[in-house]
Amino acid sequence: MIRLGLRLTFRGGREAVARLVITALATALGVGMLLSTVAGMHAVRAQDDRYAWLETGAGFVHPRPVPAGTTPLLWSLSPDEFRGRIIARVDLAALGDRSPVPPGLTRLPAAGEYYASPALVTLLKKAPHDQLAARFPGRLAGTIGAAALAAPDSLVAVVGRTPQELHAYPRAQAVRYISTTSPAECRSGCYAIGIDRNGVQLVLGVVAAALLFPLLIFVGVASRLSAARREQRFAAMRLVGATPRQIAVVSTVESTVASALGVVAGCALFAAVRPLLARVPFTGARFFRSDLAVPAAAWPLIVLGVPVAAALAARLGMRRVSISPLGVSRRTTPPPPRAWRLLPLLAGLGELTFFVFAGRPRTTEGQLAAYLGGVLVTMAGLVVAGPWITLLASRLLARGTGRPAVLLAGRRLADDPRAGYRAVSGLVLALFAASISIGIMATMHGKRIVPTYGHDPAETMVLRLNTQEFPGSFTEPPGGRPPAVPASLVAQLTAVPGVRGLTLVRRDVTEVGRFADPFLGLVRCADLPHTPALGRCPAGAVTARIVVADTSEGRSGKAVVPVASPDLASLPVIAVVLDGTRGGLERARTVLERAFPHFVPFSIAEEQANRPSNQLLEQFQRLADVVVFASLVVAGCSLAVTVAGGLAERKRPFSLLRLAGAPLGVLRRVVLLESGLPLLALAVVSAGVGFLAAGLFTRSQLQQTLVPPGAGYYLGVVCGLVLALALIASTLPLLARLTGPETARNG
Amino acid sequence: MTETLLRAIGVELAFGATPALRGADVEVARGEMLAVMGPSGSGKSTLLHCLAGILVPDAGEIRLGDDRIDVLPEAARSALRRDRFGFVFQFGQLVPELTAEENVALPLLLGGTRRPAATARAREWFARLGLDGLEGRRSGELSGGQAQRVALARALVVEPDVLFADEPTGALDSLTGEHVMELLTATAREQGTTVVLVTHEPRVAAYADREVVVRDGRVTSLVPAP
Repeated sequence: MIRLGLRLTFRGGREAVARLVITALATALGVGMLLSTVAGMHAVRAQDDRYAWLETGAGFVHPRPVPAGTTPLLWSLSPDEFRGRIIARVDLAALGDRSPVPPGLTRLPAAGEYYASPALVTLLKKAPHDQLAARFPGRLAGTIGAAALAAPDSLVAVVGRTPQELHAYPRAQAVRYISTTSPAECRSGCYAIGIDRNGVQLVLGVVAAALLFPLLIFVGVASRLSAARREQRFAAMRLVGATPRQIAVVSTVESTVASALGVVAGCALFAAVRPLLARVPFTGARFFRSDLAVPAAAWPLIVLGVPVAAALAARLGMRRVSISPLGVSRRTTPPPPRAWRLLPLLAGLGELTFFVFAGRPRTTEGQLAAYLGGVLVTMAGLVVAGPWITLLASRLLARGTGRPAVLLAGRRLADDPRAGYRAVSGLVLALFAASISIGIMATMHGKRIVPTYGHDPAETMVLRLNTQEFPGSFTEPPGGRPPAVPASLVAQLTAVPGVRGLTLVRRDVTEVGRFADPFLGLVRCADLPHTPALGRCPAGAVTARIVVADTSEGRSGKAVVPVASPDLASLPVIAVVLDGTRGGLERARTVLERAFPHFVPFSIAEEQANRPSNQLLEQFQRLADVVVFASLVVAGCSLAVTVAGGLAERKRPFSLLRLAGAPLGVLRRVVLLESGLPLLALAVVSAGVGFLAAGLFTRSQLQQTLVPPGAGYYLGVVCGLVLALALIASTLPLLARLTGPETARNG
Repeated sequence: MTETLLRAIGVELAFGATPALRGADVEVARGEMLAVMGPSGSGKSTLLHCLAGILVPDAGEIRLGDDRIDVLPEAARSALRRDRFGFVFQFGQLVPELTAEENVALPLLLGGTRRPAATARAREWFARLGLDGLEGRRSGELSGGQAQRVALARALVVEPDVLFADEPTGALDSLTGEHVMELLTATAREQGTTVVLVTHEPRVAAYADREVVVRDGRVTSLVPAP
């Protein structure tokens, strides 16, 4: 039987080969996606692990055994930036000749030397010296190896200092070992660097689950190709005595061969897209290609699991076909779908509505379970309700029409609405996914207030001197008070080419006893025009209280408030604000870093971009784009395969209609209507349900009313639908070929 | 006394609410050629399907020799069709993906005969039924008459006890139909095969030893063939 199954699979004619190829292709896409997801998760872990050494000296890293005789190393980590890109900078000084060496280095840099990552070396060569290289004292001793780099384009510098120099660094501490505790493993007290590994892996899992729907539909569509012919074949075999078991063996062989080929093609596909995947910065950084590896334990599961799953599915799927040796001749019309099919959809939306009134769950895990569960049930609800909606639309279409094409299409859809829906189900789900993600993203973007005051946020730089800003924390400056800003430095900064203006912000002493808010400060109104991003004083005001680069979204854009004029010159400077070109600001940053090595200057644009919530939003946006794009591609494939397969299946009735005098144009309209009608009807429903679900989510989770998407969404939907109709139309030339008079005779 | 090989006793079968057989009784003797006639929708094909173990009656019995076959499990009825029955239908009974030779060898392959032996036996039938040169063709590449002869070869290759033929000439022109019927009757008689032939054409029924008429789900008359 296995040999016969192989014979039918490979030499069963063009239709059998087409079915084999398309099923293998669908499986290949699934396997490729599965491998990409597993490799992506591995890459996220590998990337996160390579941030571990930067946690050296952090409070709660797991201690490591220190070899006897190890001498301490003075270590200070500080973030730096260049044109929006973060540079991890470690200043260190060995206190003996047996100090630990960080990964990626063969030896510690001596004082007056530094090591840089390959990407930083390139940048150092490209950027003007006074904008970047001048920040690193001494000579470049070599490049940092990949073992210390989270990503191929990571910007990292390890700068050698004398112990005396480093003792002056407030964050410098003596360490005896280099941390191997990754940020994800570090529960508290660690630096907020790296990535939210668990979060990204969870989101990747969600992406894979979201892509699984259209892929399973595609595999299902492919396996149903030429179903009538297969039924005829199996019925003929049953007639001459093949047992249901023998038929199941043949069918299982076919499915297993197709899925095995799909696994091979999927592995090849993964190998081909791996370099491209490595370039997708879904954690905010690109990946080393070697990071996108599939763990050895996962290979047998995928390589053997997929064909076994396909074989089981074939076995289950053959139950219906193997019932009778009379095959299709005794097939009865299935009962029409009923209105209860709306219940799962209503249940999904009901769950999301519940949280609008009951309030969102408190924990992140709870929220994830609640909303993800609601969205998945709604998605499944669309799948279940689809045939009923198709039936409704087809009855409306066929009612009272006098046009033969409309009547034929309407009646056929009403006869088997499940088949009509199946063709477009992938696109319907893709549209749902697009609508819900775009709805949520539009609302989240709408919620984000960007305090630019009509000014380019990349052209304003702030150096805060009243706190030491460090990833994840604000701490007191050394000595508990801001360092003085000498007049010579102000003069030097204003003389930097590209710097247009400078404002000194001083400690707010106008409200004694109030909570010391590090973001509030006083300025001279006369200075504000030099730094337009800080706002404008009302006419006549001399001194004002302002908010300096507020990182809390709720306070952004606060007005400039005039206050009584104290003696500003006697108050300590808490922030230096500069306005200038991007190049000018990088030069100024170099000057500032050399003057205040313990503080980190940042542009407002960088501050916004590096805010964790914004980074997360960008990552979600990227992943949502991937889901929508991939879903649309897969769904388009499903649609084309279904329509073309449907034509091949029905070539005999169509050719009989042609023989009976039906013009080809009528048949073309039938085919277009059969897929177009459910597509358009369900597009409206799925987009509506998508936005409703998005609105319910934003109401309960973000306490925001849904922000309608921009024109781009509608344009995208219309283009997608036109493309889908074009896909259907592209199969129409087959109609003329398949429905020739000889088909009616031979069929 | 002639031995009864196949017998339907009080067979009833309904498709949903529509009764197809309402207590049909018929007997077929070993080596006999029985024509089952009747108008469209009378239940004659359903009776054949019940006799062949394709359909299981709602009531009544089907006996092959002394054994009831209507109570056999599906696998046993499949084995019966494979080893002891042969079928020739109006159309559609060939597996489209297989060549004519593979189609003829199929019942043997299903029964576990090794491929070379099955192919050799299939080839014998190609020679006997004048199908030489058509071995490598698929069903779509055969004429109606050729396809029916291939189906006949496939039905006879297992040397069945009973050959069931349902409108075997229904899709053929009269000349080709006659040729197929001559081959069918000649080879069946030569092998001593019992034949149950469903037809609504008196001309085809004339090849049989005896005729029964099915009307409204009952075998209403027994008419000796002229």
